[in-house]
Amino acid sequence: MSMRLPKQAGEWISRDKTVRFTFEGQEYSGYEGDTITSALWAAGVKVLGRSFKYHRARGVLSFANHDVNVMVTDGNDTNIRGDVVALGNGMQLDAVNTDGGVLKDKNKYIDSLSPLLPVGFYYKAFHKPARLFPFWEKIIRKAAGLGVVNFNYPRITKRKLNKHCDLLVIGAGPSGLSAALAAASEGLEVVLVDENQSLGGSLTYDYAGSESSRKILEELQAKVAETANIHVYTGAYAAGYYADHMVPVVTAKGITRVRAKAVIVATGVFEQPPVFHNNDLPGVMLGSAAQRLINRYAVKPFNKGVVVTANAHGYRVALDLLNAGAKVAALVDMRAEGQRDDLVGELVRKGVKIYPASCVYEAVATSDKLGVQGAVIFPFDEATGQANPGKSVNIDCDGIAMSAGWAPAAALLYQAGTGMGYSNDIQQFVPNCLPAGVFAAGRVNGVYCLQQRANDGMRAAAEVLRYLGKRPPEVTVDKHQGPSPSHPYPFVEHPKGKNFVDFDEDIQIKDFVNAAKEGFDNIELMKRFTTVGMGPSQGKHSNMNAIRILAKIRNLPVEKIGTTTARPFFHPTPFGHLGGRSFHSHRLTSIHAWHESAGAFFVDVGAWSRPAYYQQAGKSKQQLVQEEAQAVRQTAGIIDSGTLGKIEVCGPDAALFLERFYTGKFADQKVGTTRYALLLDEAGVVVDDGIASRLADELFYLTISTSNAAAVYREMQRWLQIWQLNVGLVNVTGAYGLINVAGPAARDIVGKLVSIDLSDAAFPMGAACETEVLGVPVRLVRVGFVAHLAYEIHMPSAHGLNFWLALMEAGAGYGIRPFGTDAQRLLRLELGHHLAGYDTDGLTNPYEIGAESALAMDKPFFIGQRSLKIIGKKKVAKLLVPFVLPQEYSGEMPQDCNLVIDGAAIKGRVTSVAYSPAAKRIIGLAYVDPARNQPGMVFDIRTDNGSIVKATVVETPFFNAD
Amino acid sequence: MAYQLLKFALGREYKEPRFFRDCQTPKKSYDAVIIGGGGHGLAAAYYLAKDHGITNVAVLERGYIGGGNTGRNTTIVRSNYLTPDGVSFYDASVKLFEGLSTELDINLFYSNRGHFTLAHSESAMRTMRWRAEVNKHVGVKSRVVGTDEISRACPQLDISCSGKAPIQGALYHEPGSIARHDAVAWGYARGADSMGVEIFQNTEVQGIDVKDGRVQGVHTSRGYIATGKVLSAVAGFTPRVCKMVNLQTPIVIHPLQACVSEPMKPWLDTILVSGSLHVYVSQSSRGELVMGSSLDPYEVHSTRSTFDFVEGLTSHIVDMFPFLSNVKIVRQWAGMADITPDFAPIMGNTPVRGFYLDAGWGTWGFKATPISGKTMAYTMANDRPHELIHSFRMSRFEEYELTGEKGAASVGH
Amino acid sequence: MKLLECPMNGVRPLSEFLFGGEYREMPDPDGSDDYEWAGYVHYRDNAPGVKKEWWYHGPSGTWFIAERNTLTDEVLKTYLFGKDPSGKDQTGSKPNKNQTTGTEQSI
Repeated sequence: MSMRLPKQAGEWISRDKTVRFTFEGQEYSGYEGDTITSALWAAGVKVLGRSFKYHRARGVLSFANHDVNVMVTDGNDTNIRGDVVALGNGMQLDAVNTDGGVLKDKNKYIDSLSPLLPVGFYYKAFHKPARLFPFWEKIIRKAAGLGVVNFNYPRITKRKLNKHCDLLVIGAGPSGLSAALAAASEGLEVVLVDENQSLGGSLTYDYAGSESSRKILEELQAKVAETANIHVYTGAYAAGYYADHMVPVVTAKGITRVRAKAVIVATGVFEQPPVFHNNDLPGVMLGSAAQRLINRYAVKPFNKGVVVTANAHGYRVALDLLNAGAKVAALVDMRAEGQRDDLVGELVRKGVKIYPASCVYEAVATSDKLGVQGAVIFPFDEATGQANPGKSVNIDCDGIAMSAGWAPAAALLYQAGTGMGYSNDIQQFVPNCLPAGVFAAGRVNGVYCLQQRANDGMRAAAEVLRYLGKRPPEVTVDKHQGPSPSHPYPFVEHPKGKNFVDFDEDIQIKDFVNAAKEGFDNIELMKRFTTVGMGPSQGKHSNMNAIRILAKIRNLPVEKIGTTTARPFFHPTPFGHLGGRSFHSHRLTSIHAWHESAGAFFVDVGAWSRPAYYQQAGKSKQQLVQEEAQAVRQTAGIIDSGTLGKIEVCGPDAALFLERFYTGKFADQKVGTTRYALLLDEAGVVVDDGIASRLADELFYLTISTSNAAAVYREMQRWLQIWQLNVGLVNVTGAYGLINVAGPAARDIVGKLVSIDLSDAAFPMGAACETEVLGVPVRLVRVGFVAHLAYEIHMPSAHGLNFWLALMEAGAGYGIRPFGTDAQRLLRLELGHHLAGYDTDGLTNPYEIGAESALAMDKPFFIGQRSLKIIGKKKVAKLLVPFVLPQEYSGEMPQDCNLVIDGAAIKGRVTSVAYSPAAKRIIGLAYVDPARNQPGMVFDIRTDNGSIVKATVVETPFFNAD
Repeated sequence: MAYQLLKFALGREYKEPRFFRDCQTPKKSYDAVIIGGGGHGLAAAYYLAKDHGITNVAVLERGYIGGGNTGRNTTIVRSNYLTPDGVSFYDASVKLFEGLSTELDINLFYSNRGHFTLAHSESAMRTMRWRAEVNKHVGVKSRVVGTDEISRACPQLDISCSGKAPIQGALYHEPGSIARHDAVAWGYARGADSMGVEIFQNTEVQGIDVKDGRVQGVHTSRGYIATGKVLSAVAGFTPRVCKMVNLQTPIVIHPLQACVSEPMKPWLDTILVSGSLHVYVSQSSRGELVMGSSLDPYEVHSTRSTFDFVEGLTSHIVDMFPFLSNVKIVRQWAGMADITPDFAPIMGNTPVRGFYLDAGWGTWGFKATPISGKTMAYTMANDRPHELIHSFRMSRFEEYELTGEKGAASVGH
Repeated sequence: MKLLECPMNGVRPLSEFLFGGEYREMPDPDGSDDYEWAGYVHYRDNAPGVKKEWWYHGPSGTWFIAERNTLTDEVLKTYLFGKDPSGKDQTGSKPNKNQTTGTEQSI
């Protein structure tokens, strides 16, 4: 039966646009502007989902963007929320978490087993005997969870935007709108956010059958529309409050990070269900849900209903129901007094029977348990919270609207650090200590009267203006008068239970009582034991009731119970929104394209991409690395080392600075020479090593390993600040390219381009100079890290490719070959050089790598020196030694990080190991027992598969060069 | 159907007893006072009573039991550490965990899932081998596996990570498990309480009396308690408690954040960790994905959430599992992690006689709950450190003998 | 995302900054015993409160001192090392023979 009403003024649907869809295999239609839930309800469909635990039929509860019992799937998306997601043409929807459809769900039997499954039952069962737990676990896991994940869902990440403003107003109800307008009129840039499609908040549905609210709404909407400095975001929720007034605002299109100078939280309140037997049947819904169905979507909630209330709002709901043509068979008011004569009179005039001091004792289910067929009304003693079964009245109805009170939508206020206190006047937590720059207005602030809500918005705007240094006039807001909008204890006991507090998690009153009996009687423990508020709606309709129940159990005032911590997010937020489009930044040298075309296989080193080796069809990586290394040994190789960190240290105190920063001496270093530079941290741990070239009296040029470059430069800057030396530091890592030509032919090749004398006498190992190559000023350094004869040419990085091509051409006749980092690692190993960060780890001290000669302990100071004086007194625990395997070794190849063992004890590990074509055997570096460090001594390495390999300590280099 | 459930259906009255008494007024003195009613403190109380017969013990909890890092972690239990001492210690913890549901008679949902530490680079693969070799040496089931084995265990994982950080292999740790964290605290609380230990919630320690280098007693919001032995098991509050006895530590407090998704039907059976992507993820028995990341980058003594965390984490999760793009995160939270310079705990006696420290748990406290309780109980009962915790002694920093866990720049989880 | 004020570049989002650890006064390396020195290297003034800390603004390469409450995460003020506007700052104003003051290695 269609529940669609004739056109309602202000409805959100477009009746000229029909939308067809299916639900559980049945065809339906709705209108553009409908949500899935409103379209189904309009079509007369009431069973929209099954509950999480007991698989009870569920329909509409709050219809306020957190009805998680209505969760559907289209086979593509996993958990689509029916009350939030707009209806789309051709949608084929099914309820999630059913076995055999929402009407015939085979798991509904669990409901009748519920006495077996009290709160926390799973802590008390299935674990004995232990061996059977995996069996039970499978069943439990399958029963839990909601939707099924679609593994073929495409990767969709959404854009992110940033928005800066003076004031962010969250919530566009009467107080939010008034606040935004008041602030904007004083010139503030205002962002106004509301989760609904249209501005207005309760002004879009709470009419009490009258036109007056809509008139106010239309005026406010028009004013906002003509105010240029109010930036409106609708269909947008504020997901959380983060430090310094940053609020991510989520829409279907993505997230906007709004950074405001001040924030007004005008998020209103969530209506809370009174709790009675079967209060979860389809057809039982909150009063505001009924109003939203009617006034936003033109859907009749039910034909003949009962309204149960404990405030004035229930009367307004009844008037809206009557206005929509629904019969109101009874209005049941849980209060003995406090009724407003005007509302009572109006309803009585319209023929509604009012039952004061009464409660709905139970909703009577239809025989198929899929809906409501009546309500049982009992007198209710407010003081004791007891229903009196003596004088019951049974009323036939197909729906019940519930309005017993509210809870503040204060999650963002809590996240901002707001102190909240409980007001007995309105039976609600209200802010009593707001952090700087955060303000609250409207019902979340405890202001209920419509006129005062608007005033409160203006008052908050005035406070914002004051906070921002302006002088606005005072705005006063009247204190709440009259009966409380919330009932302090709207609960009705029933021997059969099924009086639900948390609809996400199927938690009933007795679950709280029992949890408390077991000792879980503070709100956080109760939450964890019962799981109240842990479902997808995060307690929006359940936390306040849980607090009230616990207060009653412990006979304490509500404020003594406190609240649980409110965590982001306000609504569940998709991964693809939060992750957004991520950026993977990496740096490339100017020669990168050449490497690519030459078949380079790249690896990431720090932020850089570097060729590991150059691929060739039909050849293995191992083979290619060996070939590249052999080229260096036999003729020449060329490597792009432009990624190395390069830092200029200049000024009168440059040498002094380096003496303090590094372990070695630099004051007596001659211009035109290089020195090894070893860096420790203050604990004496090896951090990095590099080369310092002295290019002038007051100019040193440092090279630093690629991945440490940024961090070493940073530390240099800090120590320079501390020491206040007359030194300039320039990070020229990106400014300079670096090409290393290595091998016996290196001199001849480089010599073709360089005009200076490269002979050993004129430019020996360790020499460095500034010269000109290809008409460009360069720095030339003779190095020995990968080969005994090698030259580094440092040129402005834009010239890198030109130099590379020129060197390749110069070397063509010699068989020059590019090599990558893999061959480089092998080549330095053959020369016996350790690699900081590869052969050392986060605890290695210089004694363990045999670097004593690099430590100028006689200097007055260097970083780590004082710690070394302590470490030096201790026995070295392990020592890095070069080792070889027998030439004829044919067993399993040891790997980096295989252990060095001695019987049952771990003595160290292999840090580098490779087959050396130059030494014609397997060589490596390993940490060993310091007692076994002499050449010729043998130690055991255990390979991956567990076999023991005998390795022999040797001297380096591993081969006879030149 | 498990027969334990039947008792709930029989009889009108709900007869389940309290897990632990509602203690309000402490005695004048106790043989030992434990500060911190988290998993560690409660476990220490339990083993003090059970292993050593010391039952005249008070546990003082500032908030509610299990409300600190016990209830904020991502519940992973594993022992695939880097140093032999570390591996042995956590392996003993795993073994205790395996029998704990039975011992405490509470279903901890101890679920053996297997644990993959993904490696996205050659250098990460080297570290995996290092850990595997040490684990094997100590007898713990860990090994380096290739991408084929990862795909078999988790076919949904995009091995290329959306092309951004291709996975090269992993360290597979067979005993890796998850458990219901709160229940661990509740089970130990019940066990300790049943042997006479008194647990005081909402009880703040305001000072510790030390005379002649010895602990004399504890000032609390419920009055003064005389005792000769005090254990501090307070994780992120360690600096505050240590200050009461003028004890310097190297601990710094960094928030560690986590989040959960909405519930889904089970699909992720294993525990996945990626150091390079700063992600760890498993699916709880409720169907939620439980996810964590690395430590926050700077010191804060609070449990505030940041948006940066969740942006970074979700972006990497979507790289690993592109199909989760429209699945939703429900909640994020944080704990205060007490970090040491070498990524290993500080346990044992201290220069203040009678003051015992169980701290420096960083991101690895939950998995150590049973063994830390057991070894600290031993240490308190005998006034000398248990052999398993020797390398975690406080004095190692002055001695420049930091544990080797720092070596591999451990991943937080 | 939190905001932080770089003394050279003004207010910037936290993602542009790097935490450099607590600022510590280095004891005289020659005048302190091993125990004292080890304490300086390893131990921290780690109870919550207002601390002097090193922060680094990455894009501009600026180190500076922030006085921050580690309990509330509130930044009271920031200034270049040795340039505390209140004049109370002792950083860098007490030259000893090595001109050394402790840092947290951020490598």
